[in-house]
Amino acid sequence: MHRYLYLPLIAATGLAAMTASAQTQHQHAGDAPACTGTGLTCSRVATPAFGRDGVLWLTWAAGGKVMVAHSDDLARNFSPPVAITKQSVRIDNGPDARPKIAVGADGQVAVTYAVFQDDKYNGRAYLSRSTDGGASFTEPAPITADTTSQRFETAAFGPGGDLFVAWLDKRDAAAARAEGKNYPGAALAYAWAGASEKSEPGATKIAEDQTCECCRLAVAFAGPRQPIVAFRNIFDGKTRDHAVVTFADPATPGPLYRVSNDEWKTNVCPHQGPSLAVAESTYHIAWFTNGQARRGVFYARSQDGGAHFSDPMPLGAGHRPERPFVLARGKQVWLTWKEFDGDKTSVVLLHSADAGANWGTPQLCAITRGGSDHPILVNDGDRVFLSWLTREEGYRLIPVGEPS
Amino acid sequence: MTRFLLCLAIVFSATAAQAGELRPFGKGSWQELKQLHAGRPAIVHFWGLTCGPCLTELPQWGKFASDAGVDLVMVAADPVPEPAPSLLATLAKARLDHTEAWVFADPYTERLEYEIDPDWRGELPLTVLLGRNGSTESVLGTTDFAQLRNWTQSQTRP
Repeated sequence: MHRYLYLPLIAATGLAAMTASAQTQHQHAGDAPACTGTGLTCSRVATPAFGRDGVLWLTWAAGGKVMVAHSDDLARNFSPPVAITKQSVRIDNGPDARPKIAVGADGQVAVTYAVFQDDKYNGRAYLSRSTDGGASFTEPAPITADTTSQRFETAAFGPGGDLFVAWLDKRDAAAARAEGKNYPGAALAYAWAGASEKSEPGATKIAEDQTCECCRLAVAFAGPRQPIVAFRNIFDGKTRDHAVVTFADPATPGPLYRVSNDEWKTNVCPHQGPSLAVAESTYHIAWFTNGQARRGVFYARSQDGGAHFSDPMPLGAGHRPERPFVLARGKQVWLTWKEFDGDKTSVVLLHSADAGANWGTPQLCAITRGGSDHPILVNDGDRVFLSWLTREEGYRLIPVGEPS
Repeated sequence: MTRFLLCLAIVFSATAAQAGELRPFGKGSWQELKQLHAGRPAIVHFWGLTCGPCLTELPQWGKFASDAGVDLVMVAADPVPEPAPSLLATLAKARLDHTEAWVFADPYTERLEYEIDPDWRGELPLTVLLGRNGSTESVLGTTDFAQLRNWTQSQTRP
């Protein structure tokens, strides 16, 4: 009846921790939000990252605070959550926005998030770091001095330990508007922060102008100080298709390469950005489009630094797929996304053992019948897990396979 | 039986059109909304406070509402519901305070979106044209009001 095979490890949903508690109440249409605490069950999103020591880190936003906790036993038990924000803040709750967390090779933890600073949804993005295993975090500091608007901040530790931060910035749009010029979207901005906890992000630079302003970014690395950023660009002022930029060196964004010609000419906010993974010099990217050329969720790969991508491969066609995520370890590649069939939301998984050349059959990984976060893949060395927060079931960390 | 349903629909419709009221849009609301307007052409506009292009064209919707000649329904579809006072103030500023208004009020947004249009992933703005004969047409993106008036005329022509 179902075209998906259940994963043999589906029983591992027993790993669920922090499931719905008294803190969560079902919200009925028209009711005021019942959830006001800072617990994970009051959050719409949960972002995971593993440290090299196998510790799982989780960040979420609830009750006006950005929270962090960690688990030594694969989400069975969590440390008491720590509030990164002391005061209550108005956290950016756009559909593609979330607080994020990155763990460096030396165990350093970096948390980023954005708040709405006014009623026009202009954002202000912040960074907080910890060098003592999460016992304490620095006072969150703005990632840039300019106050126009920053959203979709994404921080990643490079192989050399430096912290790279990319975000969407409205300063150039505001400047253009002040001169009476047209400027669709926002700029792709970036800054570097050193390896030390004390080093604040350095000078802001603009990598690209006129990119889509409402979609998440994805960051990977081609070398120690050579980040790769995937984002929804605006081509010719109106076409919101995906692009990648690979830095030649820390201060030189390379040429912009288009991932595919979906021809999504639109002025709506797609609220759906790309997912990117890079392993053994192969770029793996997954994205959503509603373009004139193709519609749905797609995967493609590039083996020449993004200059050329394979023909887009449709994922979950016919099942209203959305929110794809890709993870790669060597030649092992995993793809996940969620679907809705009118009754339930399913997370589906696809695996390739040859760097994305061939793919297995889609497997059903988890379901829910309520609101849910995007599905996220996270790895502890070679072990790969689905990280998924749902209103009905709480937080789940589900093993999805190990390379054979 | 048919007459009874029609009466019921008129009563509901009158309730919905009260100024300053936001009806919660949850599971099944789309069917209910369509039922309320069955047999008459209606335009349902999905907008949001978090949608820049929506806010830019909202005053044009206010102008359109004054002489639309068809039922107009505004549905606030921010993925995380914005506060009712902000929504109502924004509608009033655009002279849409006497227009039937709903607000998404179910965190299972996939289900709401699916019920409205299985292909819709919540992008805003979205305008759904409900024809007199029960036809449904989704228009994603900002509004071409000249085209909208053409559709309205085609629906109201005797």
